[in-house]
Amino acid sequence: MLPLLQVRGVHKYFGGVHALEGVDFEVGAGEVVGLVGDNAAGKSTLARIIAGVYRPDAGDVLLEGKPVQIASPKMALDLGIATVFQEFALVESLDVVSNLFLGREIVHRGLLARDEMERLTRSYLRQLNSRIPDVHVQLQTLSAGQRQCVSIARALVTDPRIIVLDEPTASLSVAQTAEVLQHIERLRDMGLGVVFIGHNLSDIRAVADRIEVLRHGHNNGSFPAGSAKQEDLLAAITGAARYPSRAPA
Amino acid sequence: MLCYAPRMGEVTVAPGSQASLREANTARVVDALKQYGRLTQVEIASATGLSPATVSNIVRQLLSERAVETTATTRSGRRAQQVNLVRSSSMAIGVHIGPRAMDLTLTDTTLDAVERLHLPLPADHRFDTTLDRAALLTAEMADASGAGISDVAAVGVAMPSSLRRGPNGFVGLDAWEDIDVAAVLGTRLGRKVVVAREVDAAAVAEARLGSLKGVGLGLYVRVGESTDSAVVSEGTVLRGAPGIGHVQAQPAGAICRCGGRGCLNTLTSIQAMQELLRISHGALQLRDIVQLANRGDRGCLQVIRDVGQAIGVAIGDVASVIGPDAIVVGGPLAATGEALLRPIREALASRPVLPDSGELLVASVLDGDIESLGVSALAHDSVDQPSVRER
Repeated sequence: MLPLLQVRGVHKYFGGVHALEGVDFEVGAGEVVGLVGDNAAGKSTLARIIAGVYRPDAGDVLLEGKPVQIASPKMALDLGIATVFQEFALVESLDVVSNLFLGREIVHRGLLARDEMERLTRSYLRQLNSRIPDVHVQLQTLSAGQRQCVSIARALVTDPRIIVLDEPTASLSVAQTAEVLQHIERLRDMGLGVVFIGHNLSDIRAVADRIEVLRHGHNNGSFPAGSAKQEDLLAAITGAARYPSRAPA
Repeated sequence: MLCYAPRMGEVTVAPGSQASLREANTARVVDALKQYGRLTQVEIASATGLSPATVSNIVRQLLSERAVETTATTRSGRRAQQVNLVRSSSMAIGVHIGPRAMDLTLTDTTLDAVERLHLPLPADHRFDTTLDRAALLTAEMADASGAGISDVAAVGVAMPSSLRRGPNGFVGLDAWEDIDVAAVLGTRLGRKVVVAREVDAAAVAEARLGSLKGVGLGLYVRVGESTDSAVVSEGTVLRGAPGIGHVQAQPAGAICRCGGRGCLNTLTSIQAMQELLRISHGALQLRDIVQLANRGDRGCLQVIRDVGQAIGVAIGDVASVIGPDAIVVGGPLAATGEALLRPIREALASRPVLPDSGELLVASVLDGDIESLGVSALAHDSVDQPSVRER
């Protein structure tokens, strides 16, 4: 089956820094792919290329086999790629409904369709198995785990086929991590292609189908999550082992 | 203290009357509190769709019945009253640790599941990390429910059966052979920790709250990563047997992990199913097989049918020996419903000496993770506060 998204031989330079060197990456429908690596491995750069924030200097990006130029974040959304970055991009003083539809409010004849947005908000939260009881509270009253859920729900509003999560479990408590990991499993069950970027190998290995390792801007291994040993992943991340080609380890 | 647990089926006033509407609305408020733990009155209104005035009246009545209590808090800079259900002061937490996930259930002495949590885990999760997280989750769950960790009297841990006797008995995960889970977690939490096999814990849950309640002799079969069984006599689980997974299903069959030949597990374990599906489907986890089967995948349905047939034969043998009054089939694979149960029922129906298989084989009516629910009951028992056997 053709992968939803393929990145082939992508290079990215920032001034003199060769941030990505011929990186390959792919994600399919109903699949969670973990993307791991040390700081400055290039994970965020790759995520931003997929999200349309940066453009690659060389290489191809293909959507369902067809080459695309993701020229902007808006274009990424139109192509069905949603991204949830660490900084949340939420407004603290607005309520849950408003945050979900910020910038994409549903309007009928010039008036905000408040009821419809509220109904959809509850529907997305229910799909994610959320525990937020009141969609009218301001965001600042919610816990970090609940805010993460709102971020993910916001990404669902555009009906994406691919969702990129950048460090979704960073600075969360164990119980909140459990909630977010369940949301990620639900996204996979919904048939989305999920890219899970993170540092916590336990969390990623708990929900991923496959794990891709980046090291200093190039691929260093592709591992099936069910059988990959923690030690092998650490070796790939730290460079103790080298995997020159992306053939499954 | 009164534990308010209204049941929707027990309305004794005329439907449509003011009083019945009031009861229905009260039940909605209580259900919302059960689901979310602590809520302010505004949050209750939003979650139930009732007006703030109605919520206020209901909360006032529940307060007078001592079914709820309130604590002051702030919301958006304003003072608000947080409402939570009053719980009997003795709580217990059941922890079910499996190969790929951990489930926790917080219960009071009536075995009401106050709080539940599910955490996916990586394939070879380490005992120290996992038990550390179990301890943290225990504390977080206690806080979230409105109780505190000091209200948690005991903890129970349910894990898969093991072929070797470890520090906690014939129970434990593969790589955790020498780990004394009761000691490690007990020291970390400063509480008594009991350890039980997951199949025994599930059988306890069925015997106290589910389809084996009030049954003289019950057989519980858990179909998951492997097939296991527990026998319940007069509400008590009989301990000590290796389980139905090691019944000989094929005299000339494959070698089992126990060393024996042709055990039921060689036909029904997750490894056996994965082997059959490897060429067509690639690597599949148990949850993938369940999901695909529920979506009509023919390969997975065929494999599950074969598994059901093999288990049905084994259950028929056991039933002929012990004559149970009821048989419950549970575990992760039972989530495929009739796909697994029909071949078992048919295998039982083909035994003339057994009672009608339609009445003998009963479905589980409990939802959520029942292993953690059952082991929390065993934890309650261990502090000399036997959990309620009849509700």
